[in-house]
Parts: sequence; structure tokens; C-alpha cells
Amino acid sequence: MRASRRRLSPLRTSFLVVLAIVLSAVAGGLAYFMPAAQLALDSTGQVISLPTPSPTALLASPTPSPSPSPVTGAFTVLLLGSDDDSKFSADHVLTQSMILVRVVPATKKVTMLSIPRDLYVHLSPGGYGKIDGAYSYGGAGAAIATVEQDFGVHVDDYIWIGLLGLVKLIDAIGGIDVVTSHPVLDDYYPADIYSRFPYSYQRVAVLGGPQHLDGLHAMQYVRSRHGDLQSDFGRSQRQQEVLTAIRLKAKELSPEDLPSLSGALGGELKTSIGVSRVAQMLPLAASFDNPNQITQLFLLPPYTHGGGPGGSVTADWGAILPLVHQYFP
Amino acid sequence: MISRFALAAVLAAVMVLSGTATFIALGSRTSRVAVPPEKPTSATPRAQALTLPGTLYMSQDGALYSLSVGRFHQLTPEAGWTQPSMTPDGNIVAVKQAPFYSDIYVLNRFGSVVRRVTNNSAPNKNSDPGLNHWAFYPRLSADGKTMWLAYDKPKFQYDVVLSIWAMPATGTIVQGRVWTNAADYTGGDVQPLPVKGGLMYTKYDFASRYAANQPDRLVGMLWFTNRAFSVGRELTSPSEDCRNPAVSPDGTQVAMICTYQKQESYLTIASWNGSTLGPRKTIISNQLVAQPTWAPDGSGIAYLAPGAGAGPFQLWWLPRAAYAPIPSPAPTPSPGGPHNGPVPAPSPATAVVVRPVQVTTNNGFDATSPLAWSG
Repeated sequence: MRASRRRLSPLRTSFLVVLAIVLSAVAGGLAYFMPAAQLALDSTGQVISLPTPSPTALLASPTPSPSPSPVTGAFTVLLLGSDDDSKFSADHVLTQSMILVRVVPATKKVTMLSIPRDLYVHLSPGGYGKIDGAYSYGGAGAAIATVEQDFGVHVDDYIWIGLLGLVKLIDAIGGIDVVTSHPVLDDYYPADIYSRFPYSYQRVAVLGGPQHLDGLHAMQYVRSRHGDLQSDFGRSQRQQEVLTAIRLKAKELSPEDLPSLSGALGGELKTSIGVSRVAQMLPLAASFDNPNQITQLFLLPPYTHGGGPGGSVTADWGAILPLVHQYFP
Repeated sequence: MISRFALAAVLAAVMVLSGTATFIALGSRTSRVAVPPEKPTSATPRAQALTLPGTLYMSQDGALYSLSVGRFHQLTPEAGWTQPSMTPDGNIVAVKQAPFYSDIYVLNRFGSVVRRVTNNSAPNKNSDPGLNHWAFYPRLSADGKTMWLAYDKPKFQYDVVLSIWAMPATGTIVQGRVWTNAADYTGGDVQPLPVKGGLMYTKYDFASRYAANQPDRLVGMLWFTNRAFSVGRELTSPSEDCRNPAVSPDGTQVAMICTYQKQESYLTIASWNGSTLGPRKTIISNQLVAQPTWAPDGSGIAYLAPGAGAGPFQLWWLPRAAYAPIPSPAPTPSPGGPHNGPVPAPSPATAVVVRPVQVTTNNGFDATSPLAWSG
């Protein structure tokens, strides 16, 4: 009687072995994806807290409050890129890059509108200033609210990435292939990455033509603006070239790459997009394979003019808003 | 019947094995996008490398390599070496790039420094970084007496542009003179290519300066000039957005890269009569092609392009049959005497599609560095 209690039948033994294999395989999978899950929990699904608009903000809004995207499945994301080097405190950084992206999955069309960082606008937290300051005053919520009120668009989500995040992301995907349309020769490029003297300068030379760029050189290519007659506008063009190249490279990634990617990014990426939507969007991104379906918009003159307060750029809203509403209905 | 103790031990072992195996299996399923390129000397080029004539020189990760009879040899350490070109006497002219400046050197064919041509570092390391200079794309004239290069002088504060300079091959840059008037804030004039009767080069400029209907964006154009600081003329239009010129060994054709203001690049060939380019012929349109280089014996064109997907640049080889017209076969005379009747029309040649051959698979050559080829 005692012996039989300590011994199990072959059926129960087999069941236990199978159960052990399944459970341990799941545990192995969880352990593998743990870094990605941690990043997902830390970085995605960020709550957007929109600042309460001041009375002047309502008066200054060029259009009534925007309504959500009418096309089924279409969504608009605000891409924000920031200097987060040691010259700035962590939560008070400027957005050197602001790109409004509208994706229409049904037609596989993507529209990218680069907003000049020096554009003089009414800021959602109150007052007027360059649009790149909105994030430093109130985080992503303030940046989104500023874009919504000034451009009359609805922003569904945002993705913020820091300078080091861009470098690490591009290195983690093995670099990108770009036709560098604008050779970058900058004698006074900020030496604030991997440097003990963040206020010093370095020389950079990114030559023109088709080439493979690692993270550091890709960042130099998109960040420099001294050698560009079009200054921030030229830089916007370069940023869109690199974004397109990242999207092309991302098509070659597999879900198993997520842990190493998340490990590389660390805290350099934040987004309001939830984990489940990220999972839905990965195959969607891979299906956008026609470069002619990508529309790139830049607010060059006559849409904007230089000579604004404090070296800012002033907007011709009468020209900008019809353009924006055409592509971001 | 199995004892509970034995079963517990077996289950523990199974769980450790299964969990570890799952972890390893998932890790092995990652894409290969982030795998760093191998050194050419440790990678094995495909058998097609054996078909390349002469010796080909190229740059990867700051080192110069030669490819001869299917084998790579590392000529220099990884120290910023790039942009090799040949001298008439079989030496190599190359650029050594440091973080703040770059200089031109003459090396022998084994990679040993023969002479330092320029000295572009600022006298004091703590001084204004703008006191340093860049020198790129060195080329020697056919007689070996003149060295052409792209040099960032003159420059004005933030306006750093490369201009084409010429200097005595055995002299110094102080004896040199500027040949082209680079457009401000464009990157300037690069890739000098001495040709019979003058100089071909790539000029970066804004398209809107050349045609009212062109966008206000920067493009590359091939230009030609035959006199120092004269107003040259464009050989390609702004809409073609071309660069990387290479003249065929017989001097009658030019291979170049045209991007048509997009993130694509086309290997394009045009005839060359010494002053103008003929109709364009697109040879490759489905790859991000860079640095086309003619084989010295005219048997084909080598170029750099990603291997698969959007990866690092590999060496490719395009046999002549892929772009040259197939010669019509001569009519065969009938046996038994002179041919008196009408000449029979040659039968149409069978169309054979010749595709480019990927020579390397796991390297990452510098696509901004021209290839140099000695016969």
C-alpha cells in the first residue's frame, strides 16, 4: 500500500513530463522576451497629459478643435527627436525634430510633414515661442497640444526618441543604407555625445552618395545644420531620408530581435502606443513597400519665412493650413 | 512504475533542458541584420572573384585591401585609410582620415607609405577646429605629373565646401591652385576625374538654380572644365542627380550613378566624345549601386551594392556582355570558292540575359570610397 502510493502510473508520468516540457518552454520564452517586455512596459502606453489651454490659446487657434481621423483605420503619429545630451536636464529637452506622420493602412499611403523646429507659434502651455520649446515646457502632451491647436490636426499618438536612442537603434539594426543627398561638412558640430566636454566642437564629414551609415554617422547626417543653406529645412529632408531607410531595414527584423533591440534602446524611447498596437503595427509596417506611396512635405518658403523673433521662422498659416488639411484631413 | 524521487529528478532535468533549449532556439531565430561584416581576408569570396582581371583595391573599416586572383590581402591597418587610386607607376594614392582632418599619401602596392602629400592638421590641437582641412578623392593625371583632389579651401566659418584643386604630384598643396568655384553651402565639388582635354567632376548644387521647374533641393551633376577657375559646364541635368563618374579604358564611355532625386541609385552608362555625354543607358536599376569601376581590360564593370536587403555594401561584377551590344556574326562564306551572290543577312543573335555577379557576401566595403584597379 505504501509502495504503490510512492509510485505513479505511466500515464500520469507521461502527462507530468509533457506538462514540465510545456511549462519550462514557456518559461524559457518568457525569459528570452523579458527585456523586450520590460521596455514595452516602461516605454509604451505612456499617458498623454494635455495641458489646459489658456484663454489666449483658444483665441489664437487658427481652426476649430480638430476631430479624429475620418478614414477608417487611418492614424496620425507625432515623431519627436530630442537633444538629450548632458547639456540638458532629462525632462526639459527641446525637440530638434518634429515630424507628423499620417498612415492610411487601407491604401498603404504614408504622409510625412516636417515641422520646422524654429517655427514661431502659440505654445499650448501659454505664450509664444519656437515650437521646439513646447516639449521642454510640458513634455509630449504639450508638444501634441501645440501641434493640434496650431495646425488643426488630430494626433493619435507620439513616439519620442533621444539622440543616443537614434544611434543605438540604428546600430542595433546593423546600420542603414542611405543616398546622402546633401554632403555634410561641419566644422562646428557639437561634441556632446560620448564626450567629457559637451560644449566643445568637432569636425564631421559625411560625403554624398549611396552608402551604409552606422548610428553615429547617421546622427551626424540628420543633426548637422551649419553647412546647409536651407538650415532646418535641409535637415528635415535628411531626417526623412534616414527615417525611410530605418523603415526599410525594419522590414528585415523578426520578433526574436526585439530583446536585443530593447536592450540597446534602454530609456531612449517613449511612446503612447500600447504594446498590443505595436504588435499590430509591425506587420503593417512591413507591408508598406512602395516608396512612391510615401509623400514627404516640407514647410519651405512661401509657407514659412525667416526673420521671426529670436531667430525664429514665421508661418504663413493661410498657405499652411489648406496644405495640412489636404494631407491630414 | 517509477518512483516519485526518480520522476522528480527526471522532470527537473527535462525542465532545465527544455527551458534552455527554448531560450537558445529563440536566440538562433534572430535576423542577421546586426551581424558585423567580416574582414575580407577572413571571408571567402565566391569563385567568381577568380574571373576578375588584374588587382582591385578597396576600403573597408578604415583599411585598404587588394583583391588579386581571388584572394584578398590587407594592405594597411584599420586607421582611416580610404579612397585609393592608382598612379601610372603602379603605386597607390589614398586618403588617411582622422577625426578632424584627412591627408593624402602615396603608398606602394604592398601598403607601405612612400610619401605624405598633404599635412592638414591644425598646428595646435586646442585651436579652432576650422583650422583643420579635409582632402578627399585624390587622382593622378595620366602622365603622373599632376595630382587632383577635393580640398576644403577656401571656406568661410560655417560654409565648408570642397573645391577641386590641382597640385604638382611631387610638390605640396602650397603649390596647388583651385580649379573650380564650388557653390556655397552645398558640399561642393568632388570626385575629380582627369580626362583627355580637361577634367570631369561631380558638382553639388541646388537644382532650382538651373531650371525654374526644379525643386529647391541639392543634387549632384557631372561637370566638365578645361581651364582653372573657368566656368565649366554641366554634363548631366539636375533631374538626373548623377555622381561617381568613371571613364572606360578606351575613353569612349562614362559609367555613373544617377539617383533621380530619390533614395534609389541607377548604374548608368553614356557615350563620351570628349566634350558631351550621349544618350543614357540604365544598366542596373534594382540595387543601391555605388562606385562603378571599369576593368582595365574592358571585360566588365565592378561596383559596390548591398548584398541582400538593406545590408552593408558588397563587391559585384557586371560582365561586359550585360551592357555591351552583342556583335552581329559575320556571314559565313559558302565553301568551294568566292562568294558571288548577295550577302546573306546575319541571323539575329540569341538574347542572353547576363546578370551581375555578387563576388562577396559578408563584407562591408566603404561605398564612399572609389575602387582602384590595376591591370
